[in-house]
Amino acid sequence: MRRDLVARYGVVIALLALCAGAALFVPGFLALGNLTTILLHVSVNAILALGMTFVIVTGGIDLSVGSLIGLAGVLSAATLTADGTLAAVGVGGATVLAVLVGTGAGAAVGAANGALTAYGRIAPFVVTLATMTVARGAARLVTGGVPIGFPLTGDPAFAQKSAALDALHAVGGGRIPVPGLDRGFPMPALIMLALVAAGAFVLTRTRFGRYVYAIGGNEEAARLSGVPVQRIKLGAYAISGGCAGLAAILLVGQLRSAGPDAGLLYELNAIAAAVIGGASLLGGVGTAWGALVGALLIGVLNNGLDLLGVQSFWQEIAKGAIILLAVTFDVWTKRGHHHA
Amino acid sequence: MSLLELSAITKRYPGVTALDTVDLTVEAGAVHAVVGENGAGKSTLLKLVAGAERPDAGEIRWDGAPVTLASPRDALRRGITVIYQELALVPTLGADANIFLGMELARGGALAADAMREAAAKALAELGLFIDPAQPVSRLSVAQRQLVELARALVRDARLVALDEPTATLTAHEVAHLAAQIESLTAKGIAVIFVSHRLDEVRRVASRITVLRDGRRVWTGATGEVDEAALIRHMVGRDVAYRRHAAGRPPDPAPLVAVRGLTRAPAFHDVSFALRCGEIVGVAGLVGAGRTELARALAGIESWTTGDVTLAGAPYRPRSPRDAIARGLAYLPEDRQRDGLVLRFTVRENITLPVLQRFAAHGRIRRAAETLAARAAATAVDLRPSPPDVERPVTLLSGGNQQKVVMAKWLLTDARVVVFDEPTRGVDVGAKVELHRQIRALADAGKAVLLISSELPELLALADRVLVMRAGRVAGALAGEALTAERVMALAVEAL
Repeated sequence: MRRDLVARYGVVIALLALCAGAALFVPGFLALGNLTTILLHVSVNAILALGMTFVIVTGGIDLSVGSLIGLAGVLSAATLTADGTLAAVGVGGATVLAVLVGTGAGAAVGAANGALTAYGRIAPFVVTLATMTVARGAARLVTGGVPIGFPLTGDPAFAQKSAALDALHAVGGGRIPVPGLDRGFPMPALIMLALVAAGAFVLTRTRFGRYVYAIGGNEEAARLSGVPVQRIKLGAYAISGGCAGLAAILLVGQLRSAGPDAGLLYELNAIAAAVIGGASLLGGVGTAWGALVGALLIGVLNNGLDLLGVQSFWQEIAKGAIILLAVTFDVWTKRGHHHA
Repeated sequence: MSLLELSAITKRYPGVTALDTVDLTVEAGAVHAVVGENGAGKSTLLKLVAGAERPDAGEIRWDGAPVTLASPRDALRRGITVIYQELALVPTLGADANIFLGMELARGGALAADAMREAAAKALAELGLFIDPAQPVSRLSVAQRQLVELARALVRDARLVALDEPTATLTAHEVAHLAAQIESLTAKGIAVIFVSHRLDEVRRVASRITVLRDGRRVWTGATGEVDEAALIRHMVGRDVAYRRHAAGRPPDPAPLVAVRGLTRAPAFHDVSFALRCGEIVGVAGLVGAGRTELARALAGIESWTTGDVTLAGAPYRPRSPRDAIARGLAYLPEDRQRDGLVLRFTVRENITLPVLQRFAAHGRIRRAAETLAARAAATAVDLRPSPPDVERPVTLLSGGNQQKVVMAKWLLTDARVVVFDEPTRGVDVGAKVELHRQIRALADAGKAVLLISSELPELLALADRVLVMRAGRVAGALAGEALTAERVMALAVEAL
């Protein structure tokens, strides 16, 4: 039984231990400003990991989310700064439209992943490897290879475009004033927390969530029980794509520009966070809060090593070691169930 | 001197003593059967013999000398081969590669593929199996795969072969073949441990029998000294026979399901029958006779090419299992671990899976209502221990209790037609009788029940009528006085 508890809260314990270690040995780690910076920095990866968890729990994998950041980002930025949209719907309308276009593009590609996997019966690794490549190419095609961003000074719509970018920046880089916090609480972190809470609700409290676990646990039994397996899978991939689209908007807002190469290799960070957070690549296991904790663990590690002035190369090695540790730990706790 | 001697072996797991001072002596050239209900300790005993687990107390003697079987590899090296119910073959590799797995013949670092194929073919032929040893074993039947495992034991010069429930999925014909092969092993001086639920087969192949109950050895003796009823008494510690469960009500006069000329070559041809509310129609036949294929077609898992089915007078042709469930047909698959349960789920989550929409308002599950329904369904099937704990993971339940969970799950769907495929396979005798009562109760409650079973006593105890299938066709239907084990078997095996 104790092993069960350790298995369930092991990652949380590891995160707390890491934070305690950082608090003791890393000057400046415990500063509120630093802690909120960590939240800001992990928000994109945590949101990707959240969507990834849905897919991994069904027993699949989504390699396309990194490229989707690029594609959804340039599409929403292009929408936002297009003369036509600004003229037609104004700055506010363009911002809303940009968010919708980004999220919608992500969800649409995700749904296509799901359709090819569920109805076309193609291995998700292959499907999303293909869409990963296609999406990256499309992002470069849309932009001609250069970032979409701050308007040129001679642009007749300069003021409007700047205002639109500022509006999106309020979403991706904005701060909510909180007493006691000098710079306020970062908007993306708040969005991340809300999304994770919503994801946790969907996974644990809804029919859709139960079906996601059932499919990952035993797809055939689920199908024979009348679970609409294909539809649920499509939904899981669409959620992953939609999360990537949202993350792309936060990133565009943060940077006030969208590069076609944004999000390169982010899919691997997302998978790492989900797995560290307890998701099993065999399917059937994983939680939304776990994805957040996994992303936080990576974030705290990076932040601590940053503050200590450790080379980024070492940070990568440390991240890899953590992944191995998490999986080893997982295997170790599972072994305990054998004789239970 | 005995080949293998276990004395006062004890094995404990957290919370349970799986084996309690058990003795077992196996002689070279003889078959020693080990029987007992599920949880009696048979699997644990095999694991010790295989070197997969080590005893906490007691002594193992091999060839007269005390040994420690440190690992499966160690046991194999000494000449002990254990063939598990879930066969340990690599499905994508050929019989030859499987037979030589871990002991490949090589010449100068390259595999001697031809030599291995030849040796494999020879070993298989010795066992009466004439196949191309290079074809993937996934294409072989379960019986053929078992022979591949036996051939592996032969090639390894095994001195003791232990078989775990080898006949559970075999047809009568295949069982006879396996029994003959076991006999030929003993003629070579090989010792055999035969673990099984099927007492008639145990009595046919074994010269000595050991009965385990709750981890203790309760009886050992020569086969001739004991009849089946006495064995069952030893196993369960009480008298259990398959009592005939008489119908509590006459079936409706009009059929609920009418199947006419259903065909999907080569699985089944021109199958016609009617199924009425309140009756149990049994389906007998050898494995491969097309019974499961027929059931899967009715359940919307596979389709049919010609013929038609009506359900309650309306045309019935399900496009998916979901469709079939919506029309009121429940199918309880044969392999509950593979097809019937989500093993990571709790009892509650498994039971409510097909009817989750009932407890979901706008997608959100109302946990209280769900728990209530799951508990009621679990109680209705008498899930033990009672009152049932629906929050237990199903992996922690015995085979009989798992099957009850599957039943509870389908009871909740309020199906009008219930199709059982081998509902009591691998279930201990006590739970079997309980499941029989439940199946009869379903019919008495007005459901139409189709019962596929390879166990004749089960069909005789439950079915009002029995369809006998042979090679995809209905060879005959038996009822009343004509419904006897001999008549069923005769129809099932009759030469084509």
